[in-house]
Amino acid sequence: MEMNGSQRIEASREQVYAALNDVEVLRQCIPGCDSIEKTSDTEMNAKVTLRVGPVKASFTGKVTLSDLDPPNGYTISGEGSGGMAGFAKGGARVVLVPDGEATMLNYAVSAEIGGKIAQLGSRLIDGTAKKLAGDFFSKFSQIVGPQPAGDDAPAAEVAEKKGWVGRLRDSL
Amino acid sequence: MNDQTRIDQDRAERTEKLQGMGCKRKRVEDIRFTQGKGSYVDDLKLPGMLFGDFVRSPHAHARIKSIDTSRAKALPGVIAVLTAADLKPLGLHYMPTLAGDVQAVLAEEKVLFQNQEVAFVIAVDRYIASDATELVDVEYEALPCIVDPFKSMLPDAPILREDIQDKMTGAHGPRKHPNHIFEWMIGDKEATDAVFANADVTIKEMLVDHRTHPSPLETCQSVASFDKVKGELTLWGTFQAPHVIRTVVSLISGLPEHKIHVIAPDIGGGFGNKVGAYAGYVCSVVGSIVLGVPVKWVEDRMENLSTTSFARDYHMTTELAATKEGKILAMRVHVLADHGAFDACADPSKWPAGFMNICTGSYDIPVAHLAVDGVYTNKASGGVAYRCSFRVTEAVFAIERAVELLAHKLGMDAAELRIKNFIKAEQFPYQSALGWEYDSGDYHTAMKKAMDTIGYKELREEQARKREAFTRGETRELMGIGISFFTEIVGAGPAKNCDILGIAMFDSAEIRIHPTGSVIARMGTKSQGQGHETTYAQIIATEIGIPADDIMIEEGNTDTAPYGLGTYGSRSTPVAGAATAVAARKIKAKAQMIAAHMLEVHEGDLEWDVDRFRVKGLPEKFKTMKEIAWAAYNSPPPNMEPGLEAVNYYEPPNMTYPFGAYFCVMDIDVDTGVAKTRRFYALDDCGTRINPMIIEGQVHGGLTEAFACAMGQEIRYDEQGNVMGASFMDFFLPTAVETPHWETDHTVTPSPHHPIGAKGVGESPHVGGVPCFSNAVNDAYAFLGAGHIQMPHDAWRLWKVGEKLNLHQ
Repeated sequence: MEMNGSQRIEASREQVYAALNDVEVLRQCIPGCDSIEKTSDTEMNAKVTLRVGPVKASFTGKVTLSDLDPPNGYTISGEGSGGMAGFAKGGARVVLVPDGEATMLNYAVSAEIGGKIAQLGSRLIDGTAKKLAGDFFSKFSQIVGPQPAGDDAPAAEVAEKKGWVGRLRDSL
Repeated sequence: MNDQTRIDQDRAERTEKLQGMGCKRKRVEDIRFTQGKGSYVDDLKLPGMLFGDFVRSPHAHARIKSIDTSRAKALPGVIAVLTAADLKPLGLHYMPTLAGDVQAVLAEEKVLFQNQEVAFVIAVDRYIASDATELVDVEYEALPCIVDPFKSMLPDAPILREDIQDKMTGAHGPRKHPNHIFEWMIGDKEATDAVFANADVTIKEMLVDHRTHPSPLETCQSVASFDKVKGELTLWGTFQAPHVIRTVVSLISGLPEHKIHVIAPDIGGGFGNKVGAYAGYVCSVVGSIVLGVPVKWVEDRMENLSTTSFARDYHMTTELAATKEGKILAMRVHVLADHGAFDACADPSKWPAGFMNICTGSYDIPVAHLAVDGVYTNKASGGVAYRCSFRVTEAVFAIERAVELLAHKLGMDAAELRIKNFIKAEQFPYQSALGWEYDSGDYHTAMKKAMDTIGYKELREEQARKREAFTRGETRELMGIGISFFTEIVGAGPAKNCDILGIAMFDSAEIRIHPTGSVIARMGTKSQGQGHETTYAQIIATEIGIPADDIMIEEGNTDTAPYGLGTYGSRSTPVAGAATAVAARKIKAKAQMIAAHMLEVHEGDLEWDVDRFRVKGLPEKFKTMKEIAWAAYNSPPPNMEPGLEAVNYYEPPNMTYPFGAYFCVMDIDVDTGVAKTRRFYALDDCGTRINPMIIEGQVHGGLTEAFACAMGQEIRYDEQGNVMGASFMDFFLPTAVETPHWETDHTVTPSPHHPIGAKGVGESPHVGGVPCFSNAVNDAYAFLGAGHIQMPHDAWRLWKVGEKLNLHQ
């Protein structure tokens, strides 16, 4: 599976790059991240719980940072196994480009999945992957960029609590 | 009313009371099935019974570096976890397949397909067993996998079967590559090639009969119960061939065969899926022997679709040579057969490609040549006959698509081309170029009846008008007319041709008449829904004059049933049905002697009259079968042993060759790819018809499964060897909503060698149906230059055909 995207973040390239290397920031941004710990400057162990369609599984795996080119970007790659539920491996090339005061974060993801998540969730994988990437970067820009004004926060909260019927209604 | 009328009326009444052959007797088994009172394997509950579940590989091809079962064993309720290391000392980590290969029961060093069995967890209930499978930690090293069978024999292809890497001669001869299983050839290559070199017209096309699955509603399952004191094993399971399972279990376990009791209770559909032996059966047996308590194994839906016995996956390069006038001169076929990780095809031993050599079909083709290469890939093993005799759906698909392609190339009508090449009624018994002797047939009569009934000429005229309208842009609908004229080969089989692991493919019936004139008959076959309890009783009723309602048919218990090879390949009626008639005739012969003694006449002075023997010329002097039965036990003639029973093991002299003419009219929306079946007409000739209602039901079911295969059902793999669509979310199983209306019809050409002239029908509609649907789709697009469109023809793929042909605005 291949996926490309970009996200504008209201922060300087240096700030963004630093945050991308900050384990605590990553922990907060990776959807379903149960734990993540650094084993070296460029290596981490992570535990992530994911749900793809009807399959929910805990993946444990290794995350490696390579092609480090501060503050222009890096490659983040990972390999995780969820036992019977399957496995996933993949990576993303992240490129940071200045955009005025802010930074454009461009990413190109390639991933390979196997096991039950691939069998059962095949039709849902692309959508799920896009959603996960979206979740990651919106959270990331939230943390790294300026804090939103007071009024916005509760609104976002309400939107989160809406069930699928509510979301469907909104989309109509 | 004169005497003769009175006699005729009396005879008709007595005949009707018997509910014998030819009547639409209602299915007796449905009384329990429709009330939810069937008794299936999963209904079995035994004291102390444990449940097993498999740890399966998420990888298609990987080396197993380690298996740690400690976390699973620590879960309360888990009793044991079996791995290959436990089975290896018993020699059970591999089991023999029906095709002369071996298959891993639990993977030892490598896994070769996704969802392959790696460990077997036994726990006090199904849920704990399932939870514990997630706690078995298996470390894999992923290896490159082969999904495309055309890449199996490349020089740099990864070697899949390291266990037989050095064994360059397999069960069916030399292997050309470590991933090659066999090469099988038949026919006259030289003569065929010569005809092709000089022919006016030839066609060549790669026809793919894609991988699918029989998907019975009840999955595969077993309960094993080993009695340590008696040293006896009882094995309940979903077995289409219970006796074969008993023999195989005896051979691989070393237990004497008389101490193994195999019982197949009610079965919820088989369609070939329940012929083979599976890891679950072996593991439940080993579990019970080790633990001394019963162990149950029940497959879930994904396991069924992704592990136990797929069907098809034949890639058939098909060629025909013909004259300009449309006389077919030769056929040449090469098949690349994807057998998955193990060769676990369920074919008679001498036939690694089943009866694929029936591929010359219903046509008088002078010479032909067929070559089949079987290869290993990283997919589940199987290759079973999904509602067909061995590889017959593949064969019929090849010839029936090829004939259409030839007609298109010649600019000839596809029906006319078929009629021109049919084997003529007077040519039977007909020796085919690829080695079969067709027992009987009358193709021209059947085809004419079908074409007249469906109004073929008018349909072609309508199609021509619609094509013009489409070209003018007045409609967005394409009309396709599908034809298929198939010849099946069923009822394996003569012992000279057919055996399974050396066991000749006879079948059997044992009939016992009780003193009061009721009957129990036990069979070597096993119904999975075919209605054997109804139809065998009808054969006996007609043969010996006892009402079908007084006859009980019993199958599936190897302790009581005579040895038989089971039910698949439409062999029940051709083989066990024949055994039933022959055994009944033995009884009738003895009954005649008893009646002669009772009536104090010579046997030759008696004649049979529906349900009695009567003295010729003295109709009022007779003895009914009921009276004879009582006398057989209580006052038999002097020097005759008492009792009235018989057994017959029937070894058929030939197979039977049912045939049929099918027509399908389809309308396809070119913009959405949605195909609507407007009409489907099926004319079947299965020889003598035992129960027209059951035949109709069989035809409906077979057509529905044909519709499924042709129009969407598929087991697909992605490039990493992930099996896609192994659940009913993706796997197309038609419901009443999608299923078209079926029109059925028949002609009757009895088999000359079968005791009652019957040929078998359960699978004909599937065999004939698949190419008929595909031909309809292909015919719809043919005038637009689409070429051959591969199955399955779901809306998405048909939409893509329109896209490719630039038909979308």
